[in-house]
Amino acid sequence: MRRHLAVLLLSATLLASACGSDDDSAGQGQPDKVTVGVIPILDVAPIYLGVEKGFFSKRKIDVSLKQAEGGAAIIPAVVSGQYQFGFSNVVSLLLAHSKNLPVKIVSNGNNSTGVDGEDFAALMVKADSPIKSAADLEGKTVAANTLQNIVDTSVRASVRKAGGDPKKVKFTALPFPEQPAALQSGNVDAVFVVEPFQQAVLADGGRKIASSYVDAAPNLTVAAYFAAQQLIGEKPDLVKRFTDAMQESLSYADSHPDEARKIIGSYTEIAPEVIAKVTLPKWPADVNRDSVQTLADLALEDGLLDEKADVDSLLP
Amino acid sequence: MKRGVVLGVVGLLGFAVLLELAPRIGLVPERYAPPTSRILGTLVTQTGEERFWLAVFDTIRTWLLGLAIAVALGVVAGVLIGTVPVLRAATASTIEFLRPIPSVALIPLVVVLWGSTITSTLALVVYASFWQVIVQVLYGVADIDPVAQDTARSFRLGRWHRVRYLVWPTALPYVVTGVRLAATVALILTITGELVVGSPGLGQEIATARASGAVAVMYALIVVTGLFGVAANVLTRAAERRALHWHPSMRAEAVPA
Repeated sequence: MRRHLAVLLLSATLLASACGSDDDSAGQGQPDKVTVGVIPILDVAPIYLGVEKGFFSKRKIDVSLKQAEGGAAIIPAVVSGQYQFGFSNVVSLLLAHSKNLPVKIVSNGNNSTGVDGEDFAALMVKADSPIKSAADLEGKTVAANTLQNIVDTSVRASVRKAGGDPKKVKFTALPFPEQPAALQSGNVDAVFVVEPFQQAVLADGGRKIASSYVDAAPNLTVAAYFAAQQLIGEKPDLVKRFTDAMQESLSYADSHPDEARKIIGSYTEIAPEVIAKVTLPKWPADVNRDSVQTLADLALEDGLLDEKADVDSLLP
Repeated sequence: MKRGVVLGVVGLLGFAVLLELAPRIGLVPERYAPPTSRILGTLVTQTGEERFWLAVFDTIRTWLLGLAIAVALGVVAGVLIGTVPVLRAATASTIEFLRPIPSVALIPLVVVLWGSTITSTLALVVYASFWQVIVQVLYGVADIDPVAQDTARSFRLGRWHRVRYLVWPTALPYVVTGVRLAATVALILTITGELVVGSPGLGQEIATARASGAVAVMYALIVVTGLFGVAANVLTRAAERRALHWHPSMRAEAVPA
Protein backbone atom coordinates (compact mmCIF):
# COMPACT_ATOMS: atom_id res chain seq x y z
CA MET A 1 0.00 0.00 0.00
CA ARG A 2 2.85 2.35 0.75
CA ARG A 3 4.42 1.44 -2.53
CA HIS A 4 1.13 2.13 -4.17
CA LEU A 5 1.01 5.61 -2.66
CA ALA A 6 4.63 6.20 -3.55
CA VAL A 7 3.99 5.32 -7.19
CA LEU A 8 1.02 7.68 -7.25
CA LEU A 9 3.04 10.49 -5.74
CA LEU A 10 5.95 9.82 -8.06
CA SER A 11 3.77 9.88 -11.15
CA ALA A 12 2.13 13.07 -9.86
CA THR A 13 5.51 14.73 -9.54
CA LEU A 14 6.64 13.51 -12.96
CA LEU A 15 3.47 14.77 -14.54
CA ALA A 16 3.71 18.11 -12.82
CA SER A 17 7.27 18.59 -14.02
CA ALA A 18 6.34 17.46 -17.52
CA CYS A 19 3.51 19.99 -17.61
CA GLY A 20 5.65 22.82 -16.36
CA SER A 21 8.49 22.31 -18.79
CA ASP A 22 6.94 23.57 -22.02
CA ASP A 23 8.44 27.00 -22.51
CA ASP A 24 6.89 29.92 -24.29
CA SER A 25 8.41 29.78 -27.74
CA ALA A 26 5.93 32.17 -29.31
CA GLY A 27 6.38 33.17 -32.89
CA GLN A 28 9.65 31.36 -33.45
CA GLY A 29 9.12 28.01 -35.10
CA GLN A 30 7.47 25.67 -32.60
CA PRO A 31 3.71 26.18 -32.13
CA ASP A 32 2.36 26.44 -28.59
CA LYS A 33 0.49 23.32 -27.54
CA VAL A 34 -2.70 24.16 -25.67
CA THR A 35 -5.47 21.99 -24.33
CA VAL A 36 -8.97 23.43 -24.30
CA GLY A 37 -11.71 21.86 -22.18
CA VAL A 38 -15.06 21.89 -24.00
CA ILE A 39 -18.47 20.24 -23.68
CA PRO A 40 -19.78 18.14 -26.61
CA ILE A 41 -22.70 20.48 -27.42
CA LEU A 42 -23.66 22.84 -30.26
CA ASP A 43 -22.22 25.87 -28.52
CA VAL A 44 -18.58 24.98 -29.15
CA ALA A 45 -18.91 24.45 -32.92
CA PRO A 46 -16.80 27.59 -33.66
CA ILE A 47 -13.66 26.27 -31.97
CA TYR A 48 -13.92 22.92 -33.79
CA LEU A 49 -14.48 24.81 -37.03
CA GLY A 50 -11.61 27.19 -36.26
CA VAL A 51 -9.22 24.31 -35.65
CA GLU A 52 -10.29 22.67 -38.92
CA LYS A 53 -9.97 25.94 -40.86
CA GLY A 54 -6.48 26.52 -39.48
CA PHE A 55 -7.33 29.76 -37.62
CA PHE A 56 -5.29 28.47 -34.67
CA SER A 57 -2.39 26.82 -36.49
CA LYS A 58 -1.73 29.97 -38.54
CA ARG A 59 -1.25 31.77 -35.20
CA LYS A 60 1.12 29.03 -34.08
CA ILE A 61 -1.29 27.44 -31.64
CA ASP A 62 -1.65 23.67 -31.63
CA VAL A 63 -5.08 23.10 -30.08
CA SER A 64 -6.14 19.82 -28.54
CA LEU A 65 -9.81 19.76 -27.58
CA LYS A 66 -10.81 17.69 -24.55
CA GLN A 67 -14.45 16.87 -23.99
CA ALA A 68 -15.76 17.00 -20.45
CA GLU A 69 -19.27 16.01 -19.53
CA GLY A 70 -20.05 19.32 -17.88
CA GLY A 71 -18.48 22.68 -17.20
CA ALA A 72 -18.06 21.73 -13.53
CA ALA A 73 -14.99 19.63 -14.36
CA ILE A 74 -13.45 22.24 -16.67
CA ILE A 75 -12.96 25.14 -14.23
CA PRO A 76 -10.80 23.14 -11.75
CA ALA A 77 -8.78 21.70 -14.65
CA VAL A 78 -8.05 25.18 -16.00
CA VAL A 79 -7.22 26.61 -12.58
CA SER A 80 -4.85 23.72 -11.84
CA GLY A 81 -3.14 24.18 -15.21
CA GLN A 82 -4.24 20.87 -16.78
CA TYR A 83 -5.99 22.85 -19.48
CA GLN A 84 -4.84 26.23 -20.74
CA PHE A 85 -8.33 27.33 -21.75
CA GLY A 86 -11.84 26.18 -21.01
CA PHE A 87 -15.45 26.71 -22.00
CA SER A 88 -18.03 27.48 -19.34
CA ASN A 89 -21.30 29.32 -18.90
CA VAL A 90 -21.05 32.85 -17.58
CA VAL A 91 -22.82 32.23 -14.25
CA SER A 92 -20.41 29.40 -13.36
CA LEU A 93 -17.56 31.80 -14.09
CA LEU A 94 -19.17 34.57 -12.00
CA LEU A 95 -19.56 32.10 -9.12
CA ALA A 96 -15.96 30.87 -9.46
CA HIS A 97 -14.75 34.46 -9.62
CA SER A 98 -16.70 35.39 -6.49
CA LYS A 99 -14.97 32.50 -4.69
CA ASN A 100 -11.63 34.06 -5.67
CA LEU A 101 -10.73 31.39 -8.20
CA PRO A 102 -8.27 33.09 -10.57
CA VAL A 103 -10.30 32.83 -13.79
CA LYS A 104 -10.69 35.45 -16.51
CA ILE A 105 -12.75 35.41 -19.69
CA VAL A 106 -10.56 35.61 -22.81
CA SER A 107 -13.15 35.18 -25.55
CA ASN A 108 -16.86 35.13 -26.18
CA GLY A 109 -18.47 31.69 -26.32
CA ASN A 110 -22.02 31.82 -27.61
CA ASN A 111 -25.10 34.00 -27.28
CA SER A 112 -28.83 33.55 -27.41
CA THR A 113 -30.35 34.28 -30.81
CA GLY A 114 -32.12 37.20 -29.16
CA VAL A 115 -35.34 36.16 -30.89
CA ASP A 116 -38.21 35.24 -28.56
CA GLY A 117 -39.58 31.82 -29.48
CA GLU A 118 -36.65 30.97 -31.74
CA ASP A 119 -33.70 30.40 -29.45
CA PHE A 120 -31.46 27.35 -29.04
CA ALA A 121 -32.92 26.87 -25.56
CA ALA A 122 -36.48 27.07 -24.30
CA LEU A 123 -38.72 26.70 -21.29
CA MET A 124 -41.15 23.99 -22.36
CA VAL A 125 -44.26 22.17 -21.14
CA LYS A 126 -46.24 19.13 -22.30
CA ALA A 127 -48.77 19.50 -25.11
CA ASP A 128 -51.78 19.13 -22.78
CA SER A 129 -50.33 21.19 -19.91
CA PRO A 130 -52.57 23.89 -18.43
CA ILE A 131 -49.47 26.13 -18.11
CA LYS A 132 -49.70 28.94 -20.66
CA SER A 133 -46.95 31.32 -19.58
CA ALA A 134 -43.97 31.41 -17.25
CA ALA A 135 -46.16 33.15 -14.65
CA ASP A 136 -48.24 29.95 -14.33
CA LEU A 137 -45.16 28.14 -13.00
CA GLU A 138 -45.85 29.40 -9.45
CA GLY A 139 -46.09 26.30 -7.26
CA LYS A 140 -44.89 24.09 -10.13
CA THR A 141 -41.68 22.12 -10.56
CA VAL A 142 -39.18 23.01 -13.28
CA ALA A 143 -36.26 20.77 -14.25
CA ALA A 144 -32.88 22.51 -14.52
CA ASN A 145 -29.64 20.76 -15.45
CA THR A 146 -27.86 22.31 -12.45
CA LEU A 147 -29.32 24.28 -9.58
CA GLN A 148 -28.14 27.77 -8.61
CA ASN A 149 -26.76 28.44 -12.05
CA ILE A 150 -27.55 30.08 -15.39
CA VAL A 151 -30.65 27.99 -16.11
CA ASP A 152 -32.67 28.72 -12.97
CA THR A 153 -31.48 32.34 -13.02
CA SER A 154 -32.81 32.73 -16.58
CA VAL A 155 -36.05 30.87 -15.88
CA ARG A 156 -36.66 33.16 -12.87
CA ALA A 157 -36.15 36.11 -15.23
CA SER A 158 -38.88 34.69 -17.49
CA VAL A 159 -41.24 34.25 -14.55
CA ARG A 160 -40.56 37.80 -13.38
CA LYS A 161 -41.10 39.19 -16.89
CA ALA A 162 -44.42 37.33 -17.20
CA GLY A 163 -45.58 38.91 -13.92
CA GLY A 164 -45.12 35.87 -11.64
CA ASP A 165 -43.22 35.46 -8.38
CA PRO A 166 -39.99 33.56 -9.13
CA LYS A 167 -39.64 32.58 -5.46
CA LYS A 168 -42.69 30.35 -5.78
CA VAL A 169 -41.19 28.24 -8.57
CA LYS A 170 -39.59 24.97 -7.46
CA PHE A 171 -36.51 23.72 -9.29
CA THR A 172 -35.28 20.17 -9.43
CA ALA A 173 -31.89 19.11 -10.77
CA LEU A 174 -32.05 16.84 -13.81
CA PRO A 175 -29.50 16.53 -16.63
CA PHE A 176 -30.66 17.79 -20.05
CA PRO A 177 -30.77 14.28 -21.64
CA GLU A 178 -33.26 13.05 -19.02
CA GLN A 179 -35.57 16.04 -19.20
CA PRO A 180 -37.72 15.16 -22.26
CA ALA A 181 -38.66 11.78 -20.74
CA ALA A 182 -39.32 13.33 -17.31
CA LEU A 183 -41.65 15.91 -18.87
CA GLN A 184 -43.44 13.24 -20.89
CA SER A 185 -44.00 11.02 -17.83
CA GLY A 186 -45.20 13.99 -15.76
CA ASN A 187 -42.41 13.91 -13.17
CA VAL A 188 -41.86 17.63 -13.71
CA ASP A 189 -44.26 20.34 -14.88
CA ALA A 190 -41.80 22.16 -17.13
CA VAL A 191 -38.26 21.73 -18.43
CA PHE A 192 -35.60 24.12 -19.60
CA VAL A 193 -33.80 22.38 -22.43
CA VAL A 194 -31.11 23.30 -24.93
CA GLU A 195 -30.68 21.76 -28.38
CA PRO A 196 -30.87 18.93 -29.40
CA PHE A 197 -33.31 18.19 -26.55
CA GLN A 198 -35.56 21.07 -27.59
CA GLN A 199 -36.18 19.04 -30.77
CA ALA A 200 -36.88 15.92 -28.67
CA VAL A 201 -39.53 17.76 -26.61
CA LEU A 202 -41.03 19.26 -29.78
CA ALA A 203 -41.17 15.77 -31.31
CA ASP A 204 -43.14 14.62 -28.23
CA GLY A 205 -45.58 17.48 -28.93
CA GLY A 206 -44.19 19.82 -26.24
CA ARG A 207 -44.79 23.58 -26.30
CA LYS A 208 -42.38 26.48 -25.73
CA ILE A 209 -43.70 28.93 -23.14
CA ALA A 210 -40.66 31.22 -22.95
CA SER A 211 -37.17 31.76 -24.31
CA SER A 212 -35.48 32.34 -20.96
CA TYR A 213 -32.05 33.24 -22.33
CA VAL A 214 -33.78 35.95 -24.36
CA ASP A 215 -35.77 37.10 -21.32
CA ALA A 216 -32.69 37.29 -19.08
CA ALA A 217 -30.93 39.98 -21.16
CA PRO A 218 -30.92 41.18 -24.77
CA ASN A 219 -28.43 39.13 -26.84
CA LEU A 220 -27.24 37.37 -23.71
CA THR A 221 -23.72 35.97 -23.68
CA VAL A 222 -24.47 32.49 -22.35
CA ALA A 223 -20.97 31.03 -22.22
CA ALA A 224 -17.38 32.09 -22.74
CA TYR A 225 -13.84 30.77 -23.07
CA PHE A 226 -11.62 31.51 -20.10
CA ALA A 227 -8.10 31.05 -18.81
CA ALA A 228 -6.36 31.11 -15.44
CA GLN A 229 -4.85 34.44 -14.34
CA GLN A 230 -1.49 32.72 -14.08
CA LEU A 231 -1.40 31.88 -17.79
CA ILE A 232 -2.52 35.40 -18.71
CA GLY A 233 0.33 36.80 -16.58
CA GLU A 234 2.98 34.40 -17.89
CA LYS A 235 2.06 34.10 -21.58
CA PRO A 236 0.09 37.23 -22.54
CA ASP A 237 1.14 36.75 -26.16
CA LEU A 238 -0.30 33.23 -26.35
CA VAL A 239 -3.57 34.41 -24.79
CA LYS A 240 -3.75 37.30 -27.28
CA ARG A 241 -3.26 34.92 -30.22
CA PHE A 242 -5.89 32.54 -28.79
CA THR A 243 -8.37 35.42 -28.45
CA ASP A 244 -7.70 36.52 -32.04
CA ALA A 245 -8.13 32.98 -33.36
CA MET A 246 -11.37 32.60 -31.39
CA GLN A 247 -12.72 35.88 -32.78
CA GLU A 248 -12.04 34.71 -36.32
CA SER A 249 -13.59 31.29 -35.54
CA LEU A 250 -16.71 32.83 -33.98
CA SER A 251 -17.27 35.22 -36.90
CA TYR A 252 -16.69 32.44 -39.40
CA ALA A 253 -19.12 30.04 -37.68
CA ASP A 254 -21.72 32.77 -37.33
CA SER A 255 -21.60 33.58 -41.03
CA HIS A 256 -21.33 29.93 -42.19
CA PRO A 257 -24.13 28.08 -40.37
CA ASP A 258 -24.04 25.17 -42.83
CA GLU A 259 -20.40 24.48 -42.05
CA ALA A 260 -21.16 24.83 -38.35
CA ARG A 261 -23.92 22.22 -38.65
CA LYS A 262 -21.54 19.94 -40.53
CA ILE A 263 -18.82 20.14 -37.87
CA ILE A 264 -21.37 19.48 -35.09
CA GLY A 265 -21.93 16.08 -36.68
CA SER A 266 -18.23 15.30 -36.26
CA TYR A 267 -17.88 15.77 -32.49
CA THR A 268 -21.37 14.84 -31.30
CA GLU A 269 -23.60 11.84 -31.99
CA ILE A 270 -26.61 14.02 -32.84
CA ALA A 271 -28.58 12.37 -35.65
CA PRO A 272 -28.12 14.15 -39.03
CA GLU A 273 -31.86 14.84 -39.40
CA VAL A 274 -31.86 16.53 -35.97
CA ILE A 275 -28.75 18.60 -36.79
CA ALA A 276 -30.55 19.93 -39.85
CA LYS A 277 -33.43 21.17 -37.65
CA VAL A 278 -31.75 22.54 -34.51
CA THR A 279 -31.70 26.26 -33.81
CA LEU A 280 -28.06 27.37 -33.66
CA PRO A 281 -26.91 29.91 -31.08
CA LYS A 282 -25.41 33.22 -32.22
CA TRP A 283 -21.63 33.49 -32.18
CA PRO A 284 -20.67 37.19 -31.93
CA ALA A 285 -16.92 37.83 -31.76
CA ASP A 286 -17.12 39.87 -28.57
CA VAL A 287 -18.63 39.32 -25.12
CA ASN A 288 -21.83 41.26 -24.54
CA ARG A 289 -20.61 43.06 -21.40
CA ASP A 290 -23.99 44.51 -20.50
CA SER A 291 -25.57 41.06 -20.52
CA VAL A 292 -22.89 39.70 -18.19
CA GLN A 293 -23.57 42.61 -15.83
CA THR A 294 -27.31 41.85 -16.00
CA LEU A 295 -26.65 38.18 -15.19
CA ALA A 296 -24.46 39.23 -12.25
CA ASP A 297 -27.24 41.49 -10.97
CA LEU A 298 -29.82 38.69 -11.34
CA ALA A 299 -27.50 36.24 -9.57
CA LEU A 300 -27.16 38.71 -6.70
CA GLU A 301 -30.93 39.25 -6.55
CA ASP A 302 -31.61 35.48 -6.55
CA GLY A 303 -29.03 34.88 -3.85
CA LEU A 304 -26.49 32.93 -5.93
CA LEU A 305 -23.91 35.59 -5.15
CA ASP A 306 -23.42 37.02 -1.66
CA GLU A 307 -22.04 40.33 -2.79
CA LYS A 308 -21.89 42.42 -5.93
CA ALA A 309 -19.68 40.78 -8.55
CA ASP A 310 -16.69 42.64 -9.96
CA VAL A 311 -17.68 41.99 -13.55
CA ASP A 312 -14.93 44.15 -15.06
CA SER A 313 -12.15 42.06 -13.56
CA LEU A 314 -13.70 38.87 -14.96
CA LEU A 315 -14.16 40.25 -18.47
CA PRO A 316 -11.26 40.80 -20.89
CA MET B 1 -20.92 -27.78 -19.52
CA LYS B 2 -22.49 -27.95 -23.01
CA ARG B 3 -25.94 -27.83 -21.47
CA GLY B 4 -24.89 -24.78 -19.42
CA VAL B 5 -23.76 -22.91 -22.51
CA VAL B 6 -27.00 -23.73 -24.35
CA LEU B 7 -29.13 -22.58 -21.43
CA GLY B 8 -27.03 -19.41 -21.11
CA VAL B 9 -27.61 -18.54 -24.75
CA VAL B 10 -31.34 -19.28 -24.42
CA GLY B 11 -31.52 -16.99 -21.41
CA LEU B 12 -29.74 -14.20 -23.27
CA LEU B 13 -32.05 -14.58 -26.28
CA GLY B 14 -35.09 -14.50 -24.01
CA PHE B 15 -33.85 -11.27 -22.46
CA ALA B 16 -33.27 -9.77 -25.91
CA VAL B 17 -36.78 -10.73 -27.02
CA LEU B 18 -38.23 -9.17 -23.85
CA LEU B 19 -36.38 -5.89 -24.53
CA GLU B 20 -37.54 -6.05 -28.16
CA LEU B 21 -41.20 -6.49 -27.19
CA ALA B 22 -41.43 -4.03 -24.27
CA PRO B 23 -41.16 -0.90 -26.47
CA ARG B 24 -43.03 -2.53 -29.39
CA ILE B 25 -46.18 -3.13 -27.34
CA GLY B 26 -45.88 0.28 -25.68
CA LEU B 27 -44.77 -0.77 -22.18
CA VAL B 28 -41.94 1.75 -22.34
CA PRO B 29 -41.66 4.73 -24.74
CA GLU B 30 -39.76 3.62 -27.85
CA ARG B 31 -37.94 6.95 -28.13
CA TYR B 32 -36.15 6.40 -24.82
CA ALA B 33 -35.94 2.60 -24.83
CA PRO B 34 -35.37 1.44 -28.41
CA PRO B 35 -36.04 -2.25 -29.22
CA THR B 36 -33.11 -4.72 -29.31
CA SER B 37 -33.11 -4.95 -33.11
CA ARG B 38 -32.51 -1.20 -33.48
CA ILE B 39 -29.78 -1.21 -30.83
CA LEU B 40 -27.98 -4.08 -32.58
CA GLY B 41 -28.43 -2.40 -35.97
CA THR B 42 -26.86 0.78 -34.54
CA LEU B 43 -24.05 -1.32 -33.11
CA VAL B 44 -23.29 -2.71 -36.57
CA THR B 45 -23.20 0.84 -37.98
CA GLN B 46 -20.88 1.88 -35.13
CA THR B 47 -18.40 -0.89 -35.94
CA GLY B 48 -17.89 0.78 -39.31
CA GLU B 49 -16.53 3.94 -37.68
CA GLU B 50 -12.92 4.61 -36.81
CA ARG B 51 -13.99 6.61 -33.77
CA PHE B 52 -15.66 3.53 -32.28
CA TRP B 53 -12.55 1.37 -32.60
CA LEU B 54 -10.35 4.10 -31.13
CA ALA B 55 -12.67 4.20 -28.12
CA VAL B 56 -12.62 0.40 -27.82
CA PHE B 57 -8.83 0.46 -27.96
CA ASP B 58 -8.58 3.21 -25.33
CA THR B 59 -10.92 1.36 -23.00
CA ILE B 60 -9.12 -1.98 -23.32
CA ARG B 61 -5.77 -0.29 -22.81
CA THR B 62 -6.85 1.55 -19.64
CA TRP B 63 -8.56 -1.58 -18.36
CA LEU B 64 -5.66 -3.99 -18.88
CA LEU B 65 -2.99 -1.51 -17.81
CA GLY B 66 -4.89 -0.69 -14.62
CA LEU B 67 -5.49 -4.36 -13.92
CA ALA B 68 -1.83 -5.25 -14.49
CA ILE B 69 -0.58 -2.49 -12.19
CA ALA B 70 -3.13 -3.42 -9.51
CA VAL B 71 -2.28 -7.14 -9.67
CA ALA B 72 1.47 -6.52 -9.55
CA LEU B 73 1.18 -4.10 -6.63
CA GLY B 74 -1.38 -6.26 -4.86
CA VAL B 75 0.65 -9.48 -5.08
CA VAL B 76 3.95 -7.89 -4.06
CA ALA B 77 2.42 -5.87 -1.21
CA GLY B 78 0.23 -8.80 -0.13
CA VAL B 79 3.07 -11.31 0.09
CA LEU B 80 5.31 -8.78 1.83
CA ILE B 81 2.70 -7.72 4.39
CA GLY B 82 1.33 -11.23 4.80
CA THR B 83 4.68 -12.87 5.56
CA VAL B 84 5.84 -10.21 8.04
CA PRO B 85 3.55 -10.39 11.10
CA VAL B 86 4.60 -6.94 12.34
CA LEU B 87 3.64 -5.33 9.03
CA ARG B 88 0.40 -7.25 8.97
CA ALA B 89 -0.56 -5.99 12.43
CA ALA B 90 0.51 -2.44 11.64
CA THR B 91 -1.39 -2.19 8.35
CA ALA B 92 -4.55 -4.20 9.08
CA SER B 93 -6.62 -1.27 10.34
CA THR B 94 -5.31 1.08 7.62
CA ILE B 95 -6.26 -1.42 4.92
CA GLU B 96 -9.72 -1.84 6.41
CA PHE B 97 -10.08 1.94 6.46
CA LEU B 98 -8.92 2.55 2.88
CA ARG B 99 -10.52 -0.50 1.26
CA PRO B 100 -14.19 0.48 1.59
CA ILE B 101 -13.66 4.00 0.22
CA PRO B 102 -15.52 3.92 -3.09
CA SER B 103 -13.20 4.81 -5.95
CA VAL B 104 -15.80 7.17 -7.38
CA ALA B 105 -15.46 9.30 -4.26
CA LEU B 106 -11.90 10.00 -5.38
CA ILE B 107 -12.99 11.48 -8.71
CA PRO B 108 -12.76 15.13 -7.57
CA LEU B 109 -9.23 14.47 -6.30
CA VAL B 110 -7.94 12.80 -9.47
CA VAL B 111 -9.54 15.46 -11.67
CA VAL B 112 -7.69 18.19 -9.79
CA LEU B 113 -4.44 16.19 -9.95
CA TRP B 114 -4.53 14.99 -13.55
CA GLY B 115 -7.56 16.52 -15.30
CA SER B 116 -9.59 14.53 -17.81
CA THR B 117 -6.72 12.22 -18.70
CA ILE B 118 -6.20 8.47 -18.83
CA THR B 119 -3.98 8.88 -15.75
CA SER B 120 -7.03 9.98 -13.74
CA THR B 121 -9.08 6.97 -14.79
CA LEU B 122 -6.08 4.69 -14.31
CA ALA B 123 -5.66 5.92 -10.73
CA LEU B 124 -9.31 5.04 -10.00
CA VAL B 125 -8.98 1.63 -11.65
CA VAL B 126 -5.77 0.77 -9.79
CA TYR B 127 -7.16 1.96 -6.47
CA ALA B 128 -10.34 -0.11 -6.76
CA SER B 129 -8.84 -3.33 -8.09
CA PHE B 130 -5.74 -3.21 -5.86
CA TRP B 131 -7.84 -4.02 -2.78
CA GLN B 132 -9.51 -6.98 -4.48
CA VAL B 133 -6.08 -8.50 -5.07
CA ILE B 134 -4.27 -7.64 -1.85
CA VAL B 135 -7.07 -8.87 0.42
CA GLN B 136 -7.16 -12.22 -1.41
CA VAL B 137 -3.37 -12.50 -1.23
CA LEU B 138 -3.42 -11.77 2.49
CA TYR B 139 -6.00 -14.51 3.05
CA GLY B 140 -3.96 -16.86 0.88
CA VAL B 141 -0.75 -16.21 2.77
CA ALA B 142 -2.58 -16.73 6.07
CA ASP B 143 -3.89 -20.08 4.81
CA ILE B 144 -0.49 -21.80 4.82
CA ASP B 145 -0.62 -25.29 6.35
CA PRO B 146 1.18 -25.07 9.74
CA VAL B 147 2.66 -28.56 9.25
CA ALA B 148 4.11 -27.54 5.88
CA GLN B 149 5.35 -24.34 7.48
CA ASP B 150 7.11 -26.31 10.25
CA THR B 151 8.51 -28.77 7.72
CA ALA B 152 9.93 -25.90 5.67
CA ARG B 153 11.45 -24.51 8.82
CA SER B 154 12.99 -27.87 9.83
CA PHE B 155 14.55 -28.08 6.37
CA ARG B 156 15.87 -24.56 6.92
CA LEU B 157 14.39 -23.20 3.71
CA GLY B 158 15.50 -19.63 3.08
CA ARG B 159 13.06 -16.75 2.84
CA TRP B 160 12.98 -16.76 -0.94
CA HIS B 161 12.51 -20.54 -1.13
CA ARG B 162 9.71 -20.39 1.38
CA VAL B 163 7.94 -17.77 -0.70
CA ARG B 164 8.51 -19.75 -3.89
CA TYR B 165 7.62 -23.28 -2.70
CA LEU B 166 5.27 -22.69 0.22
CA VAL B 167 3.64 -19.26 0.17
CA TRP B 168 3.10 -18.92 -3.57
CA PRO B 169 1.44 -22.33 -4.24
CA THR B 170 -0.81 -21.84 -1.22
CA ALA B 171 -1.77 -18.31 -2.17
CA LEU B 172 -2.12 -18.92 -5.92
CA PRO B 173 -5.79 -20.00 -5.90
CA TYR B 174 -6.56 -16.87 -3.86
CA VAL B 175 -4.50 -14.70 -6.21
CA VAL B 176 -6.38 -16.06 -9.20
CA THR B 177 -9.72 -15.36 -7.50
CA GLY B 178 -8.45 -11.86 -6.71
CA VAL B 179 -7.51 -11.31 -10.36
CA ARG B 180 -10.92 -12.49 -11.52
CA LEU B 181 -12.70 -10.12 -9.11
CA ALA B 182 -10.29 -7.30 -9.97
CA ALA B 183 -10.86 -7.75 -13.73
CA THR B 184 -14.56 -6.97 -13.33
CA VAL B 185 -13.99 -4.13 -10.87
CA ALA B 186 -11.32 -2.66 -13.17
CA LEU B 187 -13.74 -2.72 -16.10
CA ILE B 188 -16.45 -1.00 -14.06
CA LEU B 189 -14.06 1.73 -12.94
CA THR B 190 -12.62 2.16 -16.43
CA ILE B 191 -16.06 2.89 -17.86
CA THR B 192 -17.05 5.00 -14.84
CA GLY B 193 -13.87 7.04 -15.10
CA GLU B 194 -14.34 7.64 -18.81
CA LEU B 195 -17.99 8.50 -18.27
CA VAL B 196 -17.51 10.90 -15.37
CA VAL B 197 -13.92 12.14 -15.68
CA GLY B 198 -14.13 12.30 -19.47
CA SER B 199 -10.93 10.44 -20.37
CA PRO B 200 -11.06 8.94 -23.88
CA GLY B 201 -12.78 5.59 -24.36
CA LEU B 202 -16.19 3.94 -24.57
CA GLY B 203 -17.42 5.67 -21.41
CA GLN B 204 -16.79 9.07 -22.96
CA GLU B 205 -18.53 7.96 -26.16
CA ILE B 206 -21.53 6.91 -24.04
CA ALA B 207 -21.53 10.36 -22.41
CA THR B 208 -21.32 12.06 -25.81
CA ALA B 209 -24.14 9.94 -27.23
CA ARG B 210 -26.23 10.80 -24.16
CA ALA B 211 -25.49 14.52 -24.49
CA SER B 212 -26.48 14.26 -28.16
CA GLY B 213 -29.80 12.58 -27.46
CA ALA B 214 -28.59 9.61 -29.56
CA VAL B 215 -30.38 6.99 -27.47
CA ALA B 216 -29.76 3.98 -29.75
CA VAL B 217 -26.04 4.76 -30.03
CA MET B 218 -25.83 5.03 -26.25
CA TYR B 219 -27.41 1.60 -25.72
CA ALA B 220 -25.27 0.08 -28.48
CA LEU B 221 -22.13 1.23 -26.64
CA ILE B 222 -23.50 -0.06 -23.35
CA VAL B 223 -24.00 -3.47 -25.00
CA VAL B 224 -20.31 -3.40 -25.98
CA THR B 225 -19.27 -2.78 -22.36
CA GLY B 226 -21.48 -5.73 -21.35
CA LEU B 227 -19.71 -7.94 -23.90
CA PHE B 228 -16.39 -6.85 -22.39
CA GLY B 229 -17.60 -8.02 -19.00
CA VAL B 230 -18.59 -11.43 -20.38
CA ALA B 231 -15.23 -11.74 -22.14
CA ALA B 232 -13.40 -10.82 -18.93
CA ASN B 233 -15.20 -13.56 -17.03
CA VAL B 234 -14.66 -16.24 -19.69
CA LEU B 235 -10.97 -15.38 -20.11
CA THR B 236 -10.14 -15.22 -16.40
CA ARG B 237 -11.96 -18.53 -15.81
CA ALA B 238 -9.94 -20.15 -18.58
CA ALA B 239 -6.74 -18.70 -17.13
CA GLU B 240 -7.77 -19.97 -13.72
CA ARG B 241 -8.16 -23.49 -15.08
CA ARG B 242 -4.71 -23.33 -16.70
CA ALA B 243 -2.86 -21.82 -13.74
CA LEU B 244 -4.46 -24.16 -11.23
CA HIS B 245 -4.66 -27.38 -13.25
CA TRP B 246 -2.80 -29.16 -10.42
CA HIS B 247 -5.09 -27.89 -7.68
CA PRO B 248 -7.68 -30.26 -6.12
CA SER B 249 -10.52 -27.80 -6.77
CA MET B 250 -9.82 -28.02 -10.52
CA ARG B 251 -9.48 -31.81 -10.52
CA ALA B 252 -12.77 -32.72 -8.94
CA GLU B 253 -13.06 -35.95 -10.96
CA ALA B 254 -9.67 -37.19 -9.67
CA VAL B 255 -10.56 -36.69 -6.03
CA PRO B 256 -12.95 -39.28 -4.57
CA ALA B 257 -15.83 -37.60 -2.82
